[in-house]
Amino acid sequence: MLVSRLPVLKGTLDLLVLRALSWTPMHGFEIVEWLERAAAGSLDVEDSALYQAVYRLEERGLLQADWGVTENNRRARYYKISAAGRAHLRAETKNWVAYADTVTNILTVATNNPANSSAS
Amino acid sequence: MIRAGIKRVFRLALRRRDRWEREVEDEIKLHLALRAEQLIAQGASPDDAYLEAVRKFGPLVESRARLIDAARHREQRMQRTEYVSDLRQDIGFALRSLRRQRTWTAVALLTFALGIGATTAVISVVSAVLLHLLPYPNADRIVYVAQEPTEGNTTGISVSITPLSQIVREWMRNAHSFETFETGQLVTKKLKTVGGDPSQVNVASIFPTFLSFTGQRVLRGRMFTQTDVVNGGHVVLLGETMWRTRFAASDSVFGKVVTLGDSTYQIIGVLPSTVQVPPYVPKAPDFWIPFDIRTEDLGLWNLVGRLRPGVTVAQAERELDSVYARSTNTGKVLFRARITTPSQRVNFRDSLIMLTGAVALVLLVACANVAHLLLARSASRQRELAIRAALGAGRGRLLRQLLTECMLLTGVGAALGIAIGWAGLKGLVALRPGSLDSLQLARLDGTTLAIAIGVAVASGLLFGILGVLQSSRSSTNDSLKASALSSSHSRRERRLRAGLVVSEMALSATLIVGAVMLVRSVVNLQRSDLGFTPHGLYAVTLPLDDYGFNTPAARGAFVAEFMRRAHDVPSVVSASLTGIQPGSRWFSVGRFEIEGEPRPPENKTDLVDINSVQPAFFATMKIPIKQGTVFTDTTLEGRQVIVNAGFARKHWPTGSAVGHRVRVAHSDSTPWYTIVGVAGEASTSGPMAESSAPLLYTPHDNNHTSDVMLVRTNSDARTLAPLLDIARTMGIRRPPPIESVEETMRGFLAGPRFIMLLLTAFTLLAVALAAIGLYGVMSHRVEQDTREIGIRVALGASGSRIGRTVITRGIGLTVAGVVLGLGGARWATKIVESQLHGVSPLDPVSFIVGALLLIAISVVACVVPMRRALSVDPMTAIRAD
Repeated sequence: MLVSRLPVLKGTLDLLVLRALSWTPMHGFEIVEWLERAAAGSLDVEDSALYQAVYRLEERGLLQADWGVTENNRRARYYKISAAGRAHLRAETKNWVAYADTVTNILTVATNNPANSSAS
Repeated sequence: MIRAGIKRVFRLALRRRDRWEREVEDEIKLHLALRAEQLIAQGASPDDAYLEAVRKFGPLVESRARLIDAARHREQRMQRTEYVSDLRQDIGFALRSLRRQRTWTAVALLTFALGIGATTAVISVVSAVLLHLLPYPNADRIVYVAQEPTEGNTTGISVSITPLSQIVREWMRNAHSFETFETGQLVTKKLKTVGGDPSQVNVASIFPTFLSFTGQRVLRGRMFTQTDVVNGGHVVLLGETMWRTRFAASDSVFGKVVTLGDSTYQIIGVLPSTVQVPPYVPKAPDFWIPFDIRTEDLGLWNLVGRLRPGVTVAQAERELDSVYARSTNTGKVLFRARITTPSQRVNFRDSLIMLTGAVALVLLVACANVAHLLLARSASRQRELAIRAALGAGRGRLLRQLLTECMLLTGVGAALGIAIGWAGLKGLVALRPGSLDSLQLARLDGTTLAIAIGVAVASGLLFGILGVLQSSRSSTNDSLKASALSSSHSRRERRLRAGLVVSEMALSATLIVGAVMLVRSVVNLQRSDLGFTPHGLYAVTLPLDDYGFNTPAARGAFVAEFMRRAHDVPSVVSASLTGIQPGSRWFSVGRFEIEGEPRPPENKTDLVDINSVQPAFFATMKIPIKQGTVFTDTTLEGRQVIVNAGFARKHWPTGSAVGHRVRVAHSDSTPWYTIVGVAGEASTSGPMAESSAPLLYTPHDNNHTSDVMLVRTNSDARTLAPLLDIARTMGIRRPPPIESVEETMRGFLAGPRFIMLLLTAFTLLAVALAAIGLYGVMSHRVEQDTREIGIRVALGASGSRIGRTVITRGIGLTVAGVVLGLGGARWATKIVESQLHGVSPLDPVSFIVGALLLIAISVVACVVPMRRALSVDPMTAIRAD
């Protein structure tokens, strides 16, 4: 794979975590695994950063946490998305997509700019 | 900062931090383990896998610290949120449960509100009247200075005389006990110039030092000085209101001249409206002019002074007397200084103190009732609490919830209390008798309010918590198993509540006895035989001196002509001139001697009631002449006198007073007066006066500056209006309105009646609260005993027997309270003694009536619980659990 690993833009990690939890409650490592699978290894995130994001979300009431037991009978902290979290995810996804579209559009259209084209 | 050691003692905080750390560490450990397992599954060696897991996690120590920090934040925030949501839940719950028991809530709120409100209103009044009389700096050292005759005051009332100006000047010069002496005189004068209509204005005369005495400053310009006084004192300061309304708050008025009465004054400044003349007259003066002690007399106005710190009243009185003695040639002190504090001068001082005591009792009853209500509530909720505990509510959580309920109740109660206190104060001020005029200065007293609320809230919380503790003491299991109604501690609680009812009843009994006594006293006053007939009697005042009738001859001619014309008015039945009108007293000062009896000591001075009247006076007043006749010779040379029957009886118990001679001697040459008649006892100076001291009637002379004509009519006051027309045509352009003697006499009763009404109101309040308390206890008892009653009914007990048991129990509590309360009343009524007329402070009627009333009310309070007991269906009651 030639694509280099991308640093995660500030704020988007929260969104990714919420997305992960929108399917089902997970513990920390499950979220990490899900993210790695979904991004196919192209995102560069330290595991601790992800935990910080999770704590932050919990503090804001977007997640709820409770201790549970894993399949292998280990005690783990499970996170569940709250109603507020779901609403937040919906709104922010929309924002993010609009934002990304706009930026993409500008960056790609910019190559057809007369000034640029004359220079090339 | 709390040291870690101390934190460890309390463990709580430390353990909580431990928990966050542990949780974060557990989470990290699990993560690393799972990551390592994942890597191993992908083929890594265990050692490499673990290192790789750590590397992927990021800088371990730093991340751990950051995560713990984040966890702490998260935890604190969530606790806050939880607390708020719990609180909201608690308040919601409390509101719901209070609303469910509407009657209970209403009674509790009313108890709180009335207790707090009544206490605050009355104590605000008392503090306004007694404590905050003179709003000047160092008010505690401000005293009234007067004089009283050294001896021989036989009038039975304390007589104080405003000292003469020459004595005051001596004092001002030589008495070191005082920082300053001040007087304030308020008179009405005619303002003549400065545009606008001439009008009557209030003019105060004060010493130049008065402003610094009050601790205030001029608003504009300057205060007058001693130099101004020496220069003739023709300077004036404007009152603030006058300056703003009449002079448009303009600075250009300074230096201008106004004419007040007959003199002109130059305006030199403005005094703020907060400056008042003592005794604190609510009416603000329009003008302030200097008082010149060298030329003017204080008249009847008060002399006040501020004592130097540390000087006692007795020391000051001694010094004033010695200064006075030195200033006289003989060194004899005919009048000694009498210093009074402002609160000693208040009318109804004793009554106000008594009322304060009464409201304190009411507040106690209210607190006891609150205690009751809360105990009853917590008892009846024990089962509910037990169920909730069983469902997982922590004890702390339950406690918090009950406290929330308590706080809500006391909070709303206190707010209502403030409202009632405010309204009550307004009511008291509006209903005040004329003699308690300073009441209008009363403001809601913040301290009292705080104390009353504090006491009520404290009792609310105390008994709220007590109730909770009681319910949490018994184990959840027990409460659930046993019926809440028969749980183990109910006996203790029952005793506590019975004790509360007994004390409520005792306090009420004390109050009720006092109230019955006052009611009887006022009834006595109203019924008391005045010795004359005030109904149909009117007084017409003729201010002769003010209209230029300045000589005895001019006055004599006027009154003779006026009387002649007055008799032509058809509704006038009879009329007579009198020196003083009923309701007032006048004294002759000297040594009272009876001819033929041993002479009193040389230096004795008596104050003898005296009135100069026309022969028709006795017929007009309807005072019978018991012995002898009315005056047969009204000339000065005739020297006839009529005395009162009480005095005559005392001195000549067997024989007749007629023919004996008496005099109020100023010297040996004072002529003797011959008693020609004895008039029936008449309380002309008001229904409270009763005396066998001499009252001398002398023939009316023309030496009075102002005369009063008493008129008896068969119809009403309006038909007497022609009298005023006659006065007008004869030169008294503005005669004062005709006064009803009956109303004057009734006015004497206004004060006692006001106090009586207040005490009665408080008593009713206390009794109502106590009755509610008794009702509560008895219903609770019946509720608790439902099963027992059921069994007894099933075993054949008759309804009347069941009913009797309930009533007997209730009355038992009341009687216990009444016995205690009557004991208290025996002691408490001593306070009322000075206000009782014709009633002894041990009046058996009041005690018996009070006790019976309370017992009767208790029977009523027991009726509903009794009915409930009678309606118990044995089958349901026995099966209930």
